[in-house]
Amino acid sequence: MSAENSTGGLAIVDKYYQGYGSRARELKKQGKQIMGYLCAFTPVEIITAAGFVPFRIKGDVNEPITKADTEMETIVCPLVRSWFDMSLKGKYEFLDGLVISHACDSMARSKDIWKYTLGLPYFHFIDTSHAIDDSSLDFFVSILGTFRKSLGGFIGQEISDESLAQAIRVYNENRQRIWDLYELRKSDPPLLSGAEMTRVLVAAMGLPVQESIKLLEGVITEVKQRQPAVGAKLPRIMVVGAEVDDAAFIELIEDAGASVVTDDLCPGGREYRAFVKTEGDPVAAIAERYLRGIMCGRSYVEQKGTYPEYLEQRFGHIARAAKEYNVDGIVLYIYKYCDPFGFEVPAMKSYLEAQGIQVLYLEDEYSMSTVGRLRTRIQAFLEMLGTR
Amino acid sequence: MKSQYFAGVDIGSTMTKVVIMDQTTLTPVIGPTGPEHRKLANRVMEEALAKAKLSFDEITYVVATGYGRINVPFADKQITEISCHARGVGHLLPDARTVIDIGGQDSKGIKLKAGRVVDFVMNDKCAAGTGRFLEVTAEGLGVSLEDMGRLSLEAKNRVEISNTCTVFAAQEVVARLSEGVALPDIIAGLHEAIATRIYGMVRRLKIEREVALTGGGAKNIGLVKALEAKLGFPALLPPEPLLTGAIGAALLGRDIVQEAAEKGETLVRSERRLTEASIFT
Amino acid sequence: MTEEKKPEERKKRRTATEAAASIGPMVKAMITDVQKAREEGKPIAFTFIACAYDEIIRAMDIVPSWVENYAGICGAKRDAQRFLERAESLNFSRSLCTYALCGLGFDSWREELGEMPPDAPWGGQVKPTVMLGSGQILCDPRNKWFQAAQHYMPDVPVYDVSLPYPAYADDYDFHETEGYYVKHIVEQLRGLIDFLEEQTGHKMDWARLEELVDLVDRTYDLIVDTYDLRRAIPTPMGTGDAMNTMVPIQFMMATQQAYDFFTNLNAELKDKIARKEGVIEDEKYRLIWGGGLPSWFALGDFNYFNSKGAVFPVETTYRTLESTRDFDIDLKKIKDPLEHIAWRWVKTWTYWYDKARKRPGSHPDVERLIQYIEDFKIDGIVMHEAFSCRSWHVGLIWQLNHLKKIYRDMPSLILESDIIDISSYNEADTRARIDAFIDTLEAVKDR
Repeated sequence: MSAENSTGGLAIVDKYYQGYGSRARELKKQGKQIMGYLCAFTPVEIITAAGFVPFRIKGDVNEPITKADTEMETIVCPLVRSWFDMSLKGKYEFLDGLVISHACDSMARSKDIWKYTLGLPYFHFIDTSHAIDDSSLDFFVSILGTFRKSLGGFIGQEISDESLAQAIRVYNENRQRIWDLYELRKSDPPLLSGAEMTRVLVAAMGLPVQESIKLLEGVITEVKQRQPAVGAKLPRIMVVGAEVDDAAFIELIEDAGASVVTDDLCPGGREYRAFVKTEGDPVAAIAERYLRGIMCGRSYVEQKGTYPEYLEQRFGHIARAAKEYNVDGIVLYIYKYCDPFGFEVPAMKSYLEAQGIQVLYLEDEYSMSTVGRLRTRIQAFLEMLGTR
Repeated sequence: MKSQYFAGVDIGSTMTKVVIMDQTTLTPVIGPTGPEHRKLANRVMEEALAKAKLSFDEITYVVATGYGRINVPFADKQITEISCHARGVGHLLPDARTVIDIGGQDSKGIKLKAGRVVDFVMNDKCAAGTGRFLEVTAEGLGVSLEDMGRLSLEAKNRVEISNTCTVFAAQEVVARLSEGVALPDIIAGLHEAIATRIYGMVRRLKIEREVALTGGGAKNIGLVKALEAKLGFPALLPPEPLLTGAIGAALLGRDIVQEAAEKGETLVRSERRLTEASIFT
Repeated sequence: MTEEKKPEERKKRRTATEAAASIGPMVKAMITDVQKAREEGKPIAFTFIACAYDEIIRAMDIVPSWVENYAGICGAKRDAQRFLERAESLNFSRSLCTYALCGLGFDSWREELGEMPPDAPWGGQVKPTVMLGSGQILCDPRNKWFQAAQHYMPDVPVYDVSLPYPAYADDYDFHETEGYYVKHIVEQLRGLIDFLEEQTGHKMDWARLEELVDLVDRTYDLIVDTYDLRRAIPTPMGTGDAMNTMVPIQFMMATQQAYDFFTNLNAELKDKIARKEGVIEDEKYRLIWGGGLPSWFALGDFNYFNSKGAVFPVETTYRTLESTRDFDIDLKKIKDPLEHIAWRWVKTWTYWYDKARKRPGSHPDVERLIQYIEDFKIDGIVMHEAFSCRSWHVGLIWQLNHLKKIYRDMPSLILESDIIDISSYNEADTRARIDAFIDTLEAVKDR
């Protein structure tokens, strides 16, 4: 049974989470074209409007990185290395192409390694600005225009405004469904665990958007029928970091006796916060949403006002989410070799602590063997929160 | 009312420590941690019970802590060594606001207030900055770990160890030795290198006086001196630096029992046994 | 509180040219000038190399303080560790760019003390008036470092100049995108001028800017001509020296001093060639430094290569310029100075694109290596992978693999260490690798 005609929820999530890519493989066999991409800064609306199924490359914390090292330096962030390793090992053999957005050095500087080593029929690099000022936004509109034209050239047909507008509507609906699900985490205890949420988000990012919406609707129905759990109240944790595409780390926190109730992560709170405007030029609307809507450490936000106001500009959304979800503590989870997030740590930590939020900063390497080492720190953090 | 006894079991990477206490007195036992944590925890516990002239049934509550805390089948509760060190140091050295614990496999810094953790940092990623660094380099120098502290005090011209990677540093010290550099000067350099790593990590907490040193590292006079030089003031040392975690564990057990009594709650206890655990239980 | 270790005394490195030997005092004077400017109340800008704003800051009489340079000096003096450790204690990961960590460790310390940290190398790096970051190309730390530094200097404003250049692509013609890249860059540079005028009160001298733009064109061309002289056998200058002569390229561009420096170097090299005087007398192997920033604390390794009969007539590192005469547009016709800078920027970074298109399967980075290998008669490639810097050190393995695939097999060596973090360096291991590489070169030559 495919997700398309199913109303079941978490069982399908588990199927697609465990067998990540299985649905894309099926669709490929049915004659669909699958376009791989790496990160939230890839405008999936344009890919979908061109008739492709966008497919997000995922890593695996249980799979040691072996093949990647013969082509890619180990100083690349471990997440990108795992993505590349999985790709080299044939996990995503169904891809017709790959789109890499200029999110960070680990992705941008490795683009040619991906392009030439995988040798897929289509490859495009989106030169996404770090700066988000007006001139950068105009520039990004042109950049996306080039992408639109290139992809249109590949399929031999121009991508129409109508198909873009349609894709925008569907993706906005998908984002809304994700927020509906987040809403069910606000109760104490939450109706949905953090690990379940991560599995939902990961399963969804490997599906065509229409199927993702159906899947989310099924999960929402199922979760709403749950009875609120009784028993000791657990600390409510928010996880903040770059990209977490594996539930292992969230499970580790929850196994230590906590509920992960929200996040500022990709896939997750950061990625789905912003919607695309439905009026005006579709490419301009997409450009604005991707450049200014995704609040990521890789973007450069211009300072307005005093330095404390600047911190509010950069990290205020995290503190607001922590309040909205009644969070007891934040786990700041940063990968080694991640310059965009690594340089944020002292400022972000001091800002959040000044808001009265306890923060545990963990540096990790995207590997199960290292995730285990974090257990004591997480437990001690929870003990610390418990005695306040 | 019959007396209550509380046991703290701290299973570190190299040593297992057990403390049994009533309201006032302590019975400590320390033994090495073998590859089979469970068997050893039993043995050290039995030894402690014998010393305290108690049977296991007389123990009111057992808290396990340390790296091997999940492998103590007879414990009522597992609490991290971070909370336990804070509680133990808060009890033994009430003036301490910061704890630097240097263990065999990890090192940590803890900020505390009234025996409770307010912030902490921990290194277990890299052997540099832990007891392991000294263990590996001591081996390369052919010196016993116990002698390192004393020998380093004889240093006249401390050498710089530029490699922080333990493997590289081990090579470096052997090279220095073959160049004819005096042993105490090299050992002092090693203490300096590890103290730099530890101090750099703990400094993230904004160190407040007084600072207590605990763990195996606190028994090395050379390392203590090197850390004190970085701090710029003398550190406090508990009578037995290896025991603060176990003492804290016993005290936290007592806190739990008292709190439950005050609230009139019945305490949930584990189905504890002191019999040797069979495999797969 | 007592603080960390003292720098280790080291022997001075041997240079082949007089020009390279003169660099040390020049850099020291540059640092002293910034310190003096601070005392005199002149505006000082923290600046990054290769940011296309050289002419602008010079024409506005703003004193640049090159942060990568200062970190490099700390590294070369083997005195970076205490600043790196300090940054780590502020919660910055040691896996991040170590130039940035060194700068952040230094700046935060200076701000905390209210004076220079003890024994600061060459008197220290002063607090700036403004910080000029750069988004888009080269590296992430260029837009993260100064933002992070503001946490310790909240009153120092930052301007982030977005400076992209078109990517090499097969799926569209990059020439079609040049126009909007240039337009964006011009707007960014105009924004920079507005920011500097507002923050420093200094007005842009547009006539001066035009003169300096022309001076930079001429300096670029002169540098290319001068470095081309190194094709001679024996080569009169190696990469070891080029790691010194990068100073006027990166830190003095748009000054007469940089132009004069290369005029002198040009004459010196011609003189050496006439006398057949090489870096070493008996040149056995000609190598290219094909990628990676150097380990500033281990420049002596270039001498070690020399001692084995190997020289480096060419390198890709710090050659962030091309001959403007070879561009496919006539730069001189672009009168607006900002447009001129933008076009020069785009044409420089895309210089190898059309050349790469001509060789099946080629790529600009690889094409450039091939061209240099042929022009400079190269026997082997050496690269350095600095663990803390992704921007210049990701893709090196692939470039070597690809070069061997589309061109020919060639002995290659990738050294692994860092730009300034000496704890990542192992001299014995490095030299053992160099020895093994020399053996390979020997074996290939005998074949």
